[in-house]
Amino acid sequence: MKTVKKVASITIAALLFITACKKDITINFPADHNSKVFIEGMLYPGKKPQIFISKSNPFFSSNVSPQQVFARRAVVKITSGTTVDVLVQDSIFNKFRCRWEPFYRGNIPAQYGKTYTLEVNYDGNIYTASTTINQKAVAIESIEYTAEFFDVYGGHDGVILKITDPPGTRDYYRFQMNRMIDSSVRHAHVLDKFINTCVSGPDEKFPVTDIGRIVFTDENADGQKILMSIEVTHEYEKGDKGWIFIQSLDRNSAEFYKDLDDQLQAIKNPFVEPVFINTKIPGAMGVFGSAVLSDSVLFVYPRDHP
Amino acid sequence: MKLLMHIIYVLALLCSTTATAQKITISGYVKDQVSREVLIGASIVNANSKTGTSTNQYGFFSLTTPATDTIELVISYQGYNIQAKKIIAKTNIRLEVFLENTSAMLNEVIVTAGKDDRNIRKAQMGVIDVPIKAIKNLPVLMGERDLLKIIQLLPGVQGGQEGTTGFYVRGGNMDQNLVQLDEATVYNPNHLFGLFSTFNVNAINNVQLIKGGFPAEYGGRLSSILNITMKEGNKSKYQVEGGIGLLSNNLTVQGPIQKNKSSFIVSARQSHINLLIKPFTSSGNSYKFYDINAKINFELGSKDHLFISFFKGNDKAGYNNPNSLNYITDFGNSTATVRWNHLLGSKVFSNTSFIYNDYNLALATSQNNYYSLLYTAIKDVTAKTDFTITPTTRHKIKTGFSYTSHRLTPASFSASIPRRGNRITINKGNINSLYSDEMAFYIANEWDASTKFGVNYGLRVPVFTASGKTYSYIEPRISSKLSVGATTSVKASYTRMNQFLHLVPNATAGLPTDIWIPSGKKTKPQSSTQYAIGVYKNFLDDEIEASLEVYHKRMDNQVLFGEGKQLKISSNLDSLLVYGKGESYGAEFFLKKNTGTLTGWISYTLSNTTQQFNDLNFGKEFPFKYDRRHVLSVTGSYQLTKAWIVSAVFVYSSGPASTIPTGRISTLNSGTIFEGNYYVYEGRNNYRLASYHRLDLSASNKKTVRIWKKYYEREWSFSVYNAYSRQNPYFIYFEIDALSSKPTAKQVSLLPIIPGVSFNFKF
Repeated sequence: MKTVKKVASITIAALLFITACKKDITINFPADHNSKVFIEGMLYPGKKPQIFISKSNPFFSSNVSPQQVFARRAVVKITSGTTVDVLVQDSIFNKFRCRWEPFYRGNIPAQYGKTYTLEVNYDGNIYTASTTINQKAVAIESIEYTAEFFDVYGGHDGVILKITDPPGTRDYYRFQMNRMIDSSVRHAHVLDKFINTCVSGPDEKFPVTDIGRIVFTDENADGQKILMSIEVTHEYEKGDKGWIFIQSLDRNSAEFYKDLDDQLQAIKNPFVEPVFINTKIPGAMGVFGSAVLSDSVLFVYPRDHP
Repeated sequence: MKLLMHIIYVLALLCSTTATAQKITISGYVKDQVSREVLIGASIVNANSKTGTSTNQYGFFSLTTPATDTIELVISYQGYNIQAKKIIAKTNIRLEVFLENTSAMLNEVIVTAGKDDRNIRKAQMGVIDVPIKAIKNLPVLMGERDLLKIIQLLPGVQGGQEGTTGFYVRGGNMDQNLVQLDEATVYNPNHLFGLFSTFNVNAINNVQLIKGGFPAEYGGRLSSILNITMKEGNKSKYQVEGGIGLLSNNLTVQGPIQKNKSSFIVSARQSHINLLIKPFTSSGNSYKFYDINAKINFELGSKDHLFISFFKGNDKAGYNNPNSLNYITDFGNSTATVRWNHLLGSKVFSNTSFIYNDYNLALATSQNNYYSLLYTAIKDVTAKTDFTITPTTRHKIKTGFSYTSHRLTPASFSASIPRRGNRITINKGNINSLYSDEMAFYIANEWDASTKFGVNYGLRVPVFTASGKTYSYIEPRISSKLSVGATTSVKASYTRMNQFLHLVPNATAGLPTDIWIPSGKKTKPQSSTQYAIGVYKNFLDDEIEASLEVYHKRMDNQVLFGEGKQLKISSNLDSLLVYGKGESYGAEFFLKKNTGTLTGWISYTLSNTTQQFNDLNFGKEFPFKYDRRHVLSVTGSYQLTKAWIVSAVFVYSSGPASTIPTGRISTLNSGTIFEGNYYVYEGRNNYRLASYHRLDLSASNKKTVRIWKKYYEREWSFSVYNAYSRQNPYFIYFEIDALSSKPTAKQVSLLPIIPGVSFNFKF
């Protein structure tokens, strides 16, 4: 019996009740990573096109900043009928992220009812995709604040929007809120550790665009009232204001951003299967799509972020 | 039932057209001389005509032979002394044959007698009788003997996650194995999250694994049948055996109720790990399990035998580590079986069974700020009747009918842990149950056409009804043998199988979040078609068996969770599932030494298993999660002295498949919540983790000791699991630095070197 106790002690000390041993490992993929071109372009009526073109990096590379991945020297054209818009390289400074973000900018604002074809000539390959801006804008009928609602992403605070879906077509919607924030505001998910050092002072305000992660459809609700519960991206205080829009998306964009959201969920949630992103642009990854915005509605947060 | 009896008798008559009045039938049972326990698979050979048969799972045999003055019967069983009987064979004879266990003599455990050439003699292929002695001798984890760990060492079989008892046969998923204890299905045969199986070795009489060439009497699963038969209990004397190990203690009591007529066995096991770990772990960590096996049997005259068996096992555990995976679980299996054997004359053996089983599992896990809840319950009620008819020596007809009522109650949920407030819970009372009915009729004939050629052919017709949808199939089965000389045979088989219950596996979480669902309108039954061919050769007077089997298996209507699908509280899981097909082919080599001071086997499997789902991996084919190109197992037990046995097991398998992103893309135009780096996947299960290998060692010392004028056996067993402490991959995950965005791959390994000791006694 003494032997049993002795060995038991040694064993338990070694095992610590199924204490897993953890170590860093090296994943040996072939060194010549097959870099993919990633294109993201959304056209909005009345706005000049902005097309983001980047290259994928090996998974374990840390070179993932916008400037590092930007696909320079691409020839980018958007054609509609006989009108050709040749896009040029440009960049904006994102104060919230504290970084330059390069992209390709067009000069001709997109128009409702037209079909546009994107052509990207990069590194000897040509990628093309088209979109037609014919989605119906909807009106926001009501906005409510909610301190707590539950969805597959867990429990959140957020806003509940009501719209009436136009009948007869399959429609896709997502939320947009334009706000002015200062450097004290945190991202609700990923930037808890991020310290913004790019602003001139704590009172300096700059614009952010918060786009909802969920793409809503009118499947089984064609022509009916639709309530959308939306988790917001940034922290807020009572009295903070934002201009809320509903984007009516084309099908390609809706499917692509749903894939992105599913993958985001799968990356974070260990109980969800990995999601492969389905491209909408042959030969490349990404999407070329369009959205029509609703009229904006001013929303004032009735209480502090919980 | 009348129709069934008609069919049986017509078939019996058809097959017995060659039988004349000059033939007699010798039938009866083969049993252990001391315990009167029946011997399953014992060989009975008519030495005059060189024809023979073997006992069924109740120890019964029936041999029809020409009437003569005397015939010599040779009865053998591995580990027992061969017995030759000269009998006057002019009329039908009923026999009870008692064989003497070679290890019944004091301290003698060397297996020396009992030739067994069924592997080359019988037409059935893909069958392995698992030696109980091997289960008792081979090294084990923490001193706990385990049946399923031994199953994992057989050709065509491989373990899944490190250290667990789950097994995967010929490219099939875990749910494609039908694990039966005294005919009752055990849906989750695990303790301690799969580190140990629920089967108490002291209560087991016989174990048989069928992985191909399935006889028609078996159905409902695609990949394997693991048939476990409990002991009946010693009919001649009371016997107590037990043991204490690091994790649990066990006690088995058996004995006669009415000497040589009826007996009982009760075997129980309970963990005491909770007491041992308390000083080392924080509150919230606990683990308790127990299992109880009980069986009674009554001989009701010379023609009837009644068996009542019962099993219950339960686990309750909690593990709390703020920096890692956390879980709370409570799961258990209960089964009860009533069986009635009845002899209709000397040529027809019937068995009628009523079976109840109840399985439920509740699991709550959390990992990386997300939590998952799972509840799954299955209640089955089964009635079945089977007939074995032996109209002539060359034919053995089996037929039967079964009906099972299934009630499945699945529910699951997963979400991020709320920053405030309570988590959602699953209320068992509010879950909708899914009801289904499964019926099957089968008929098969085992025909020894000549001394060289034999064939086992049959049909099984399963019918399944659920959610207003009925599925019915015809499953042809055929397995044939051609003898090439006295010690070699070549076999081939074709089987078609269907499976109506599905265990949907989750590929990503560190802990299993599998859930059982029935077939329905959207989820169609799984099906498989398997072809196999093999060569079997025995050496040194059957001391060494060798075989090489090659197989090809195609599986349809395979089920997986769709990409990104998240568990919801709903019994209707169909919307989360995707459907596809699988294909597996391979070669299995087996070399087994049955007798002598050194026993053991070498098993090597070379295989390839892929799946294809239109909605996964861009529709392209991908490796099955448990695809392993090479699997090698070497086991050996050596009788060092009369008291000491040393044993070793070495296992090697190619690395498990894992889905690893190959690249990252940055999204910029998507609004703030989408901003970040997304993964580029080039293929599902595109990467192989490090290969798995380990060496286990053990030594046991068995002695007979005299205390208070009585003899009892005691055994010390010492073991070392994973002797060179290989850090085998359990699962991997990524950590991404919030500031630099650089990912790091982390591998979690579960079991380092683990010594074990157990003390066992028997009197």
